[in-house]
Amino acid sequence: MAGKLARLAWIALWPVALAAQDPRLGRVDPSVRDSVAALTDSARVEGLPANALIEKALEGTSKQARGPVILAAVRALAAELRSARSALGSSSTTAEVAAGAAALHSGARPTDLADLRLRRPAQSLLVPLGVLSDLVARGVPPDSASHAVLALASRAADEDYLAFRREVERDIALGAPPAAAAAVRLNASARQALTAHGQKP
Amino acid sequence: MSEHDRDLPDLIDRVARTLREPVATDGALDARIMARVLAAPAPAAGGAWWRWLRRPALSPLGAIGLAAILAGVLLAPRVRRTPAARPTLSEVQFVFVAPRASSVSVVGDFNDWNLAATPLARAGAAGVWSVSVPLEPGRYTYAFVVDGRRWAADPDAPRAAGDDFGTPNSVVLVRGAS
Repeated sequence: MAGKLARLAWIALWPVALAAQDPRLGRVDPSVRDSVAALTDSARVEGLPANALIEKALEGTSKQARGPVILAAVRALAAELRSARSALGSSSTTAEVAAGAAALHSGARPTDLADLRLRRPAQSLLVPLGVLSDLVARGVPPDSASHAVLALASRAADEDYLAFRREVERDIALGAPPAAAAAVRLNASARQALTAHGQKP
Repeated sequence: MSEHDRDLPDLIDRVARTLREPVATDGALDARIMARVLAAPAPAAGGAWWRWLRRPALSPLGAIGLAAILAGVLLAPRVRRTPAARPTLSEVQFVFVAPRASSVSVVGDFNDWNLAATPLARAGAAGVWSVSVPLEPGRYTYAFVVDGRRWAADPDAPRAAGDDFGTPNSVVLVRGAS
């Protein structure tokens, strides 16, 4: 009896579930569409940026990736979003959580994200996290990139972070090893900060 | 048992017999009653609802419920129309150099990776293509698609970490208004 009722309820609610599904998922490979929908639903329930998961699935679809590859990428991103939110705190914005997930994907550790939040409790972490990922993408080792971003955290504004990234990128383009470029620019930034406070470097 | 109690059954029997006896009625009684009924005005159409509408009466709880329904009906469209506080959009220009291309588009997190959504326009004779896209603050991954099939990262922007689907992406960081 209970089984029949459950089946009836499922039949009755199925159209509601279909209607509630994000229409963009209609473009995703049918073999993994339901799994992706389930992952995005779980993300929504957890307060994670579910849109990032949908975009990842759409990216794979546009690039004509196979269904299992798309599903694996979406699953990995969901785990990174969860880890980033845990490290950054529940008050983090969706943009911060997405940027944190990207930083983790680059090779940053969750403790780096948590340290960054501790050092900048009231400021947006969007730019520092983005710079961290960008530095790693330019070849700076994740440890060095995290160290630089954390070292700047207490005194740097968003503009300073972006200037730091530009300078490191320029040095790398001129032939400097990425780790050395980040270290040199970090030291230069520290000297500037000391000079600004009237202290000798 | 008192004398009164002993007489009680007899009394009940006498009353019952009296009540069972047929009552002589006037033969025209039925006709008189029906004449009165036909002469009386007919009740208004619509029954209880119509009577309630003509002379409405509400309990305090009913009045509160009706007020809540009316408020919902009147205010709901206004609430839906009230725009949510949206972050400031920033115009981001995407530029790609492809002298031999016949079409270039940019796809990314901001347009659902839709190849047809954001085509670039030729910006000159040197094969420079560009488009300006308004974006909310955030970190976006994107790529260019040349002639509808060749994917290319932006050579002037940081690469996104990882390469989940075999072609690299670039990253643009859009800052919020400070």
